[in-house]
Amino acid sequence: MGHMVSTELPPLARAESVLELADFDEVVRLYRPRIFRFLMGSLGDRDLAESLTQDCFLKAYTARHQFRGDSSLATWLTRIALNLVRDHLRNRRMRFWQKTRDTALDIVDVGEWIPDGARSPEEVCLQQERVREIWRSVEKLSRQQRTVFLLRFVEEMELSEIAETTGMNTSTVKSHLYRALRIVRERALGKSEGEL
Amino acid sequence: MNKQPEFRDVLPPDEVLLEPSGQFGNDLRNFRAAVHRAAERQTSQPVPFGWLNAAKRRRRDAQRRLVLAWTCAALLCAGALPLLHHSKTAGAPSHLMSHNMQPGTDDTALLEQVDTAVSESVPSSLAPLAELDNWDATTSTNNKMPLNKPEKKHVSQ
Repeated sequence: MGHMVSTELPPLARAESVLELADFDEVVRLYRPRIFRFLMGSLGDRDLAESLTQDCFLKAYTARHQFRGDSSLATWLTRIALNLVRDHLRNRRMRFWQKTRDTALDIVDVGEWIPDGARSPEEVCLQQERVREIWRSVEKLSRQQRTVFLLRFVEEMELSEIAETTGMNTSTVKSHLYRALRIVRERALGKSEGEL
Repeated sequence: MNKQPEFRDVLPPDEVLLEPSGQFGNDLRNFRAAVHRAAERQTSQPVPFGWLNAAKRRRRDAQRRLVLAWTCAALLCAGALPLLHHSKTAGAPSHLMSHNMQPGTDDTALLEQVDTAVSESVPSSLAPLAELDNWDATTSTNNKMPLNKPEKKHVSQ
């Protein structure tokens, strides 16, 4: 019931992070939910997100010698996932005749979550509907805006972490985040940006 | 003197940008919880044995497709090369002729060569045919063309 998975993965120290890769099963166990969540949010397709999560860990495993520990393991894995999303979207554009969203995540599925502390059934319905509206509006964002939005408001990353993950500078991240927030707010809730 | 504010100047402070307040902030937190819940349903079960096998298979298939594509491209190139070579060699003589032929002098030389060839004396073995041609020319009427005229004319030349 509105149960939240902890995303507070402590940044690993340099020696630890490299060492951790030796025990790859543990890496998968720790980071799989996070990577899957990001991919599901980015693509809106549960099966595709699962496939790309596998691809992400396979890629990480084969490229583990390239991980120097300069960034956290989570940042490194998210960067790989981000590249996979970009490649996938590019390929999908090239194969536009294929229907690729057969197993798209149902918006109702996201809205089925029941919020904590709701006082009445009406309030529960209202909150679920707002969540669905946000989900729909996030799907309409540009790829970069959606990435920044998800990394901030789903993965709760700091601006510097988002910048490191996406390869943008901090001010660009802020601009994307601002625009994404404005669009989501206007589309989903119909509110003016002045309230931001 | 009123300078138009740049986009970055009008960005709200980080605190406001990172943690929107009010109803919208609350909705964003609910959205986060909902996405976490939806993802948790998928990843709550332990990772099955051979979980990465599907990814390995996909990668292998992609590599095969790539190899196949390059092979096809190489075969196409190999098939097109002889055709290209042939078209080049076929086009070369006409090109050379048109390039080398000088108007006037070369025409004259060619005409002289043709004259020499046609004015050669008739070999002895063909002499009877030449006589026959002369005889035919004297005996035939103007309206009547001999059936073997082209061959004879050719022989007389």
